[in-house]
Amino acid sequence: MLNKKLNKSLRSLFALLVLLMGVGFSTTALAADEQSSKQQAVTENPADLWRAVKAGEPGFTTYNSLESDVLINVVGNDGRLVRDTYVKPAIALSVVGVFGAFLLFYLVNGPSKLEKGFSGRMLERWDKSDIWLHWVMAVACLILMVTGIFLLLGRHFLAPYIGEGTWGAIIITCKFIHDWVGPVFIVSWLLSVIKWMPLQTFKLYDLKWFLVVGGYINFGPFKGKHPDSGFANAGEKMWFWALAIFGLFVSVSGLMLVFPNLDLPRVASMAALLIHAGSAVILIAFTIVHIWMATVLSEGGMECMVSGYCDENWAKQHHNLWYDEIKANGTLKYQDD
Amino acid sequence: MAVMKFLCDTKRCIECNGCVTACKNENASALEWGIQRRRVVTINDGEPGEASISVACMHCTDAPCMAVCPADCFYQTDDGLILHNKDTCIGCGYCFYACPFGAPQFPKKTAFGSRGKMDKCTFCAGGPEEDFSEAERLKYGANRIAEGKLPMCAELCATKALLAGDAGVVSDIYRERMVLRNNPDTIWGYIPTVGSSN
Repeated sequence: MLNKKLNKSLRSLFALLVLLMGVGFSTTALAADEQSSKQQAVTENPADLWRAVKAGEPGFTTYNSLESDVLINVVGNDGRLVRDTYVKPAIALSVVGVFGAFLLFYLVNGPSKLEKGFSGRMLERWDKSDIWLHWVMAVACLILMVTGIFLLLGRHFLAPYIGEGTWGAIIITCKFIHDWVGPVFIVSWLLSVIKWMPLQTFKLYDLKWFLVVGGYINFGPFKGKHPDSGFANAGEKMWFWALAIFGLFVSVSGLMLVFPNLDLPRVASMAALLIHAGSAVILIAFTIVHIWMATVLSEGGMECMVSGYCDENWAKQHHNLWYDEIKANGTLKYQDD
Repeated sequence: MAVMKFLCDTKRCIECNGCVTACKNENASALEWGIQRRRVVTINDGEPGEASISVACMHCTDAPCMAVCPADCFYQTDDGLILHNKDTCIGCGYCFYACPFGAPQFPKKTAFGSRGKMDKCTFCAGGPEEDFSEAERLKYGANRIAEGKLPMCAELCATKALLAGDAGVVSDIYRERMVLRNNPDTIWGYIPTVGSSN
C-alpha cells in the first residue's frame, strides 16, 4: 500500500522532471541559436573590436587601479610627442633666445638713460608690503624656473656629462624643491595679482606706447620719444596680465600634477603637463625681459624695488602721467619727509 | 640579438589571471602591496564577441616612457627590453601618463608628488643592478632572462595564449595558428586528418 503510493508519487515527479527538462532544453537551444548568430555577426568584423580597444574602450579587469580597465590610451603618447617636438624647444628658445635677443639689443641700442640725470630727490613708488611681495614671488619664481628647466631639459644638457648617481641626486632634489616652492609662488602670485590689479588696467595712451616701442629705442625715428604712461607703462601692464593669466594656468596645472591622490584621468594629467610647460615658456620669456629692463636697460629702474623709492627725474621721464597725477592730488611723498 | 616581445592570443586567453599570479609570485620580492605588473582586461565581458587580453609593459621599440622621463631613468637592453633604474626614478608619474598600456605603477599616492619608485614589468629581466644580486631581487624581482629562461607569466600560461620571446619566433607561432584557424577543415587549430594541433 505504502509502496504503491510512493511509486505513484515518484512517477508523477519524474513526469514533471521530464516536462521541465523539455522546456528548459528548448529554451537553451533557442538561446544558443541566438548567441551563435550574434557571435557570427561579431566575427564578421573583428576589426571593430580592435578599433574600439585602440580608441580606449574600457573592459573588465580585477586589477583595481587608475584606468586599469583601459587597454590602450593613445592620447598619452600624442601628448608626449607634443612635449618633445614643441614644448622642449620652446622652453630652450625662451631661455636662450630671449636672453640672446636682449643682449644683442643692449649692445646695439645701449641703455635708456635719464635725460636730465639723477635729481637725487626720491619719491615713494612702492610700500614695504609691495617690496616683500615682489621679492618673495621673484625668488620663488626663479627657483621654480631653474628647477623646472632642469626637470624638462636637464636630461639633455646635464645628464650625459655627469655620473648617474650625481644626476639622480640632482634631479630628485629639483623635483622636491619644485613641488614645495610651488605653493609659495601660488600664495604670493595671488596676493600680488589682487593687490596690483587696480594699477594695471589698459588705457588708450598705452596703444601709443606700443607704437614707439616704449621709447627705449635710441636710434632712427624712435629716438628720443617718450610716450605717455601712468603708474605702469603698457609693457609692464602686459607683463602683469601675462603673469596673472599664465600664473593661473601654471598654478592650477601644477596642483593637478602634485596631487596623485586626486586620481585624475591620464588625459587630464598629460594636458596639465603640457599647459604647465607651455605657460612656463611665456612666463620665462617675460621674466627675462623684466630682469633685463630693471637691471641694465632702464637706468634708475632697479631702485624702485630695492628701496621702494624712485628718482623724481625717472618718474617724470618714464611715468609722466603718474607723476603729474600724484603731484596734483598731493599724494606725492618724498623719501626724507 | 633577439628582440623580445609579448603577444596575447585572444582566441586562447580564458581570463584565468594565471599570468598575473605567476608574475606576482615570481617578482614578489620587489612588488609592494597593491601593485601588479600584469593585468587581464576583458572586452565585451559576458557578451558575444568577448575577448580577454593579458597586458603589461609591451617593451616598445620607441618607448614613450623612456622619451618622457625627466630623470632619464629608462634604458633599452640589447634584447629590446625597456628597463629602468629605480635609484634615479623621481616618482613624477609622467611615464604613466605617456604609456599607451598603463604599465608603469606607483606604490604611493601622497600629496606633493610622492608616488614612490615606479614599478613595471621587466620581462623578468631584473634591472641595472648586478645579475642575481640581492639589490636586484629587492628592487626589480626575478631575472629569468639572465638564467636563459623566458618570463614566468608566459611560461605558466595554461592555454599558451600569452607568448613571450624573440619577436620572430613569437610571430611565427602566431602566424601558424592563424593559418590553421582560417582553414575550413580545422576546428580551433586542430586538423582531424593529420591529428596535429596548434
